[in-house]
Amino acid sequence: MNNVAQALWVEMLKARRSRMPWVTVLGFSLIPLVGGLFMIILKDPGLARRVGLISAKAQIMMAAADWPTYLGFLTMAVGAGGTIFFGLIVSWVFGREYSDRTVKDLLALPTSRSAIVLAKFALVVAWSAALTAMLYLVALCVGAAVGLPQVSRHVFVQSGVALAITACLTIPLVTPIAFFASAGHGYLPPIGAVLLAMGLAQVIALLGWADYFPWSIPGVYAQGGDLPIASYAIVFLTSVAGIAGTFLWWESADQTH
Amino acid sequence: MNTAIETNCLTKRYGDVTAVDRLSLRVVQGEIYAFLGLNGAGKTTTIRLLLGMVRPTSGEARVLGTSIRVGNKKPWQSVGYLVETADAYPQLSVRENLEAMRRLRPGTEPKAVDRIIERLGLTEYADRRAGTLSHGNGQRLGLAKALLHNPTLLLLDEPALGLDPAGIVEIRNLLVELAQNQGATVFMSSHILGEVSRLANRIGIIHQGHLLQELDAAELERNRRRRVVLRAREGQAACAVLLSAGFAASIAPDGTIEVKDAAAIERPDELATRLVKAGHAPTMLDVEHEDLEHYFLRLVGSEGGDAR
Repeated sequence: MNNVAQALWVEMLKARRSRMPWVTVLGFSLIPLVGGLFMIILKDPGLARRVGLISAKAQIMMAAADWPTYLGFLTMAVGAGGTIFFGLIVSWVFGREYSDRTVKDLLALPTSRSAIVLAKFALVVAWSAALTAMLYLVALCVGAAVGLPQVSRHVFVQSGVALAITACLTIPLVTPIAFFASAGHGYLPPIGAVLLAMGLAQVIALLGWADYFPWSIPGVYAQGGDLPIASYAIVFLTSVAGIAGTFLWWESADQTH
Repeated sequence: MNTAIETNCLTKRYGDVTAVDRLSLRVVQGEIYAFLGLNGAGKTTTIRLLLGMVRPTSGEARVLGTSIRVGNKKPWQSVGYLVETADAYPQLSVRENLEAMRRLRPGTEPKAVDRIIERLGLTEYADRRAGTLSHGNGQRLGLAKALLHNPTLLLLDEPALGLDPAGIVEIRNLLVELAQNQGATVFMSSHILGEVSRLANRIGIIHQGHLLQELDAAELERNRRRRVVLRAREGQAACAVLLSAGFAASIAPDGTIEVKDAAAIERPDELATRLVKAGHAPTMLDVEHEDLEHYFLRLVGSEGGDAR
């Protein structure tokens, strides 16, 4: 595998010139903003009464207006919804080559196809990690602006670690979506796969098997559940299967688009 | 002479459909080889097979001495290509699209981008987003990507597609220059048959995945049908004169007389003399050569017919 650095430069150029980074920043920023709104409602019962349903929803989702509750909400949002955001990124990074019909220009180059796929995965991981870091920083600003009561640094470190581990469990699960984008030649099949995974995650969680379904596992962790070692193995194997399938598709399948 | 492309019984089937059927051809270095065929004849599949994008069902392709395998890294450093349509990243400018391609072709110097922009007449559009380019300029960008690294072999699928007449002449001159001055080999498919006959050293005609015929410019000249066409003020009477002289003349509804006898084609002056003597001097007389388009359609329409 050669020229990965240059392939990564090209992938970053394509991303920078698109609207996708801004769309994902905007989408991800909504999570701490919505959490901040709930905090305001919980802090001010009068306001909560005036806004009715939102108040009820806020009280169901969060018990108190404090930092541990607020940061815990963010971790749960990433655990439950991270697959959608990170899945959209991977769908765009791989699917756009088919929608723009540019994939054929990447297939017979001195830079190997594997290098290009690796660069794409590296971009997806960096992009998703940066979004998670941004989410945390925005949350710190929003929490401070809302005036949440002061807590020790330990709370911020512990919440940050929990958020990072949740992201580390979520990001690898998008690799099979890259395969669907490649084999499905565009955006729709991977987005369909994301929605299917999320839907199944809900159903399987209701059945009590959430520890063993890859796309339920980050949600279980985010809620503070104790995961068996098998859950981590399932996330790892799902990720490896997605990576292997995508590499094999690019290297070996007939490319007719 | 060195061989740039060689295929041996190259076959590609998709289920029951045979896209390319036992294709064996050889393209010599420095040659411009035109690949002609109707839509769905197998031209693009052949180019994809040569580029290792699809796996052959059977047979083998060698490009610049390397046996092609799907996913191979060799010999792409020396190959430039344009497959099907010229597409680019719409949000990137022309320059950025070329810079991206340059970086994916290690060893290509940074100046190559500006050089190819100028060579393809894209200077005015260099900083414009590719998504806003006209079809013709998009095609130029596609060709620029293929030519960026001075390849020794060019595989071009319909390179003149979408270009205006001036652009077609420009690209023709560019390809001829590459072949003659730089020794580059050009393997191109085209529908613009007039262009092909002006440009190509050799022509391969493919139909339903099968290579019907390979011929060079001289063979094409020999194989093309010729005829004498003429007009006179009294067409029917002039035609009768020629028939009575033993020529197989026929008259079209528009009054044009057509004579296909070899004797008439070799000595059209004799026809004119007879008509003048009979008082029906021709107002127009020409020896017409069948163009490549008609030759191609005749060949494809009557496989095994007299064009072979």
